[in-house]
Amino acid sequence: MARPRPSDQRFSPAAAAATHPFSGRFEPADEEFVIEHTYPAYMIPDLFTVAPPVRDALVTATSRAQDKTVDICLPFLSGEDDVFKYNEHGVPRLNKTNHIKFLHRSLEPLPGGFILMDASRPWFLYWSLSAMTMLGEDVSVYKDAIIETVRSMQNETGGFGGGGGQLSHLATTYAVVLALALVGAEEGFEIVDRKAMWRWICSLKQPDGGFQVGVGGEEDIRGAYCAAVIVTLLNLPLDLTPESPAWTAGSDKNLFSGLAEYVKRCQTFEGGISGQPNAEAHGAYAFCALGCLSILGDPRRIIPRYLDVPRLISWLSSRQYAPEGGFSGRTNKLVDGCYSHWVGGCFPLIEACFNTPSNKQAGMKSDSASPKKLPPASESLFSREGLIRYILCCCQEPSRKGGLRDKPGKAADAYHSCYVLSGLSSAQHQWELTSSVEGDLTGGQMDSVWNVLPYLEDDVQIFDHGDRVLPIHPVYAIPLQHQQAIRSYFLAKEGF
Amino acid sequence: MPPKGKAQKPKGPETSKAPSTAPAPQQAASPALSAPPANVKQRSQQRFDESRPYEVARQKVGLSGLSPAEQVGWISARFARSNAVARSRLGPKSQRELWRHVNEANLPVRALKKDPFWGRDRNGRDVGEYNLAQFDDRTAKRIALTALEVSSRAFGDLRERANRGPRDETSGLVVTETEVQEERVRRASMATLRKELYGEKMTGKLAQDPEWDDVEPIPYEEPAVALAAIAYPEEYAEAISYLRAVMQKKECSPRCLRLTEHIISMNPSHYTVWLYRASNIFALKLPFLDELNWLNSVALENLKNYQIWHHRHLLIENYYPKIADSPSAIADLAASEQEFLATILAEDTKNYHVWSYRSYLVSKLGLWGNADELAAMESMIRDDVRNNSAWSHRFYIIFSNPEHSTPGTASTEPDPRAPPDIVDREIQFAQDRIYLAPQNQSPWIYLRGVLVKGGRKLASVEKFVEEFITGLEEQGSKEDIQSTHALDLLAEIYAEKGDKKKADLCLRRLGDKWDRIRVGYWEWRRKCLGTPGGEVVAQA
Repeated sequence: MARPRPSDQRFSPAAAAATHPFSGRFEPADEEFVIEHTYPAYMIPDLFTVAPPVRDALVTATSRAQDKTVDICLPFLSGEDDVFKYNEHGVPRLNKTNHIKFLHRSLEPLPGGFILMDASRPWFLYWSLSAMTMLGEDVSVYKDAIIETVRSMQNETGGFGGGGGQLSHLATTYAVVLALALVGAEEGFEIVDRKAMWRWICSLKQPDGGFQVGVGGEEDIRGAYCAAVIVTLLNLPLDLTPESPAWTAGSDKNLFSGLAEYVKRCQTFEGGISGQPNAEAHGAYAFCALGCLSILGDPRRIIPRYLDVPRLISWLSSRQYAPEGGFSGRTNKLVDGCYSHWVGGCFPLIEACFNTPSNKQAGMKSDSASPKKLPPASESLFSREGLIRYILCCCQEPSRKGGLRDKPGKAADAYHSCYVLSGLSSAQHQWELTSSVEGDLTGGQMDSVWNVLPYLEDDVQIFDHGDRVLPIHPVYAIPLQHQQAIRSYFLAKEGF
Repeated sequence: MPPKGKAQKPKGPETSKAPSTAPAPQQAASPALSAPPANVKQRSQQRFDESRPYEVARQKVGLSGLSPAEQVGWISARFARSNAVARSRLGPKSQRELWRHVNEANLPVRALKKDPFWGRDRNGRDVGEYNLAQFDDRTAKRIALTALEVSSRAFGDLRERANRGPRDETSGLVVTETEVQEERVRRASMATLRKELYGEKMTGKLAQDPEWDDVEPIPYEEPAVALAAIAYPEEYAEAISYLRAVMQKKECSPRCLRLTEHIISMNPSHYTVWLYRASNIFALKLPFLDELNWLNSVALENLKNYQIWHHRHLLIENYYPKIADSPSAIADLAASEQEFLATILAEDTKNYHVWSYRSYLVSKLGLWGNADELAAMESMIRDDVRNNSAWSHRFYIIFSNPEHSTPGTASTEPDPRAPPDIVDREIQFAQDRIYLAPQNQSPWIYLRGVLVKGGRKLASVEKFVEEFITGLEEQGSKEDIQSTHALDLLAEIYAEKGDKKKADLCLRRLGDKWDRIRVGYWEWRRKCLGTPGGEVVAQA
């Protein structure tokens, strides 16, 4: 087992040589390596430049893949890669210009090789617009084009498909609604046939509380989250149509009935959340679960009521690895930039629950339903520095093509650009839940009021001031004002 | 096209069989022309010249330079090919003289047009520049195409009459499958010929297929400004426009099934086509096993695909009621599914969709207590003790078995029905594997999960956990930690026993040295110790 010196001092040139990432990484700790060449004196904690202190000798497919990933990431993390210019903390700038260019390009006509994405086109709209928005680019120029593009994807029977002639799907509908919110056009909001949408969503609601993603499609927690977002943003009625599979005569069940219980059934013994009950805990579904619950009620109360929060936090925290700094999606899987959002995006929701002034109050009031009182987390529950390092060092496509990616060696794409930047946004900001409208859990009109502040490190900020991206709503994953604009537009509407 | 009548036939070298009046005039005058023409244009030129005897020589040397016989020949030929009005200006005698000459010298009576245009081929090349072999080949193809078009029209007429049915006196007509097949071949040949001859776009596979003649495809027309519009390959664009047409009519038929297969082969992530395929299978009551076998091959070719596994789920949902009363049929299905899952997981050991399907299969077929299922997990964990998917599935099949679990109990909660012997066995199972690689988190999480499920105190494994921790103390130089997960669990054990000080030390050592990336979490855990009731983390 390799053991680093017990030090977490920031780098000095001498220390840089001694803790060079390749010194003793796969060697016994007692062997001294003399490093001939020197590196600029970046202030990088050795946490991010050497292998973890405890490692096993046994080699399996999993450990081989993990070791390979560390090998690929280390040169970028320790400032040795020569394509980037690093600041004194060993962190490159966020290359906004190139990323914005990349994102504009991903909205241009795509070559035939993209037909595999033919059923996901609305996602391209959301990913690209959301990423550009976080980078400060004005996306309102796309207003007309977005409206025209999604118009042809809407089905008369409600909802949006992946393209013309495709069946409606909750994921693509979610992407369309968010894309319309991002360009912020009321004439865009108007193209949504809300009555048909409501009927369609009712037809997806299952007796066990969850949602199918499309008629005859699978039932999973993505469906639960997407449906909750769509219903709330479009202010759809919660009543069920008699045609809904979940409808029973004489019952007051509605669209949100049993949904929190469904989410609860997706928590696994590991503490994380699986896509559907009884499967393996997975990062993407953790975000869907917390997002869904935070729509159904005040997160401070509803999350502890339905989930085992200590186990969940333990599992979420285990997703962050050193030296990489980024998050993995499952136990014993590799880091991937997209989990910066799926896992990283869980922390604002969890932390807000603990850190807000009303925590005590909420805790006291609440009572029986939330038996477990948890202390506030005054520090971050995860290493913001680690995540920011991973994102800026490993997830940026270094060439002029721009875009963000899973990890070094992988191609950038719109999906990773969006979720890597969303994760960066989570790491750079701090959310507070200041109040929430009280109401019946399944009454649906739960509007939590969120406040955002830049997260300021106590000592040093490793990234350049200009590289702070714009904050996004911790539940709806679009900027707060866009979420409010679409929500209040439809709240003001009477009837369909 | 220039006339190719018989009148022109006798010409060039052959014409010289009338030597009496004008011995081989062309050969003498223009030896180059006697060589075989290099291309169609040259041949046209030769023929043009041949239709004007002595003209080439006259242009060179003038009329007076020709011999008297040649002069007569030239003049006769001009009159012969000129129109009747021009000839009528000659007296009757002269006309007789003229025709005598024409006959004797076998002069052409019609002239060809100069530089006829032969058209362009699919590459824009002038067909006139073809060599003769190429030209003959092209001509043969055009003839073949015409013949095919005639037959194809005949097929169309036949089918139309057949479709008119009994009202027509020719009722009883049927279009046989052989005829349809012949027509299919014919259209393929026609499309190939049209493409070769004229560069016409290959007609799509479906447009060519007589089976689809009655369907009007609905092409998907994107607005001009559409964002991220994909430039569909022709074949795909055609197929989805037919898909829209048949879906609109809610048609379920064998041809629709073939269409879905065609589209899936190009884009297996097209969820719409999968759902439509499933509805076809069920409407046509097609054999479950046929579809499953087909699906197996598709799954192996598309390991990362999502839709395939939902399709399989739907197939099982549909098929299960038919075998629900037969334990042996269920066992057979379970065995064949397990075999296939083993194959696919060997290719991709942590494929999320495959594992999710597997957990569904267990619940549908009741495989919790199935020995093969447990053995499969054991084998996968043996192959890679870090395969968390296998650990997770093992937990599910053991602790969600309805025979000894309480419905509605959360995964992270104790279940009084969990059998102590099984809990003991699983504790042992996890511990044995922790020894193989103590820093592997999967069996630690499993171990903790089993303890909680079984209602055991975490402290019941204290001795075991301590084996991985030596000399725990602040800044201790003899401190040796073989597993941060052991230290994590030990902190919980101490907290459970009320020893907050020791618990706090474990957490501090994790944050300070052994697992620094998670220092924020370890600090929060330390706070949990201080809060009244903060041992919650240990008691969860």
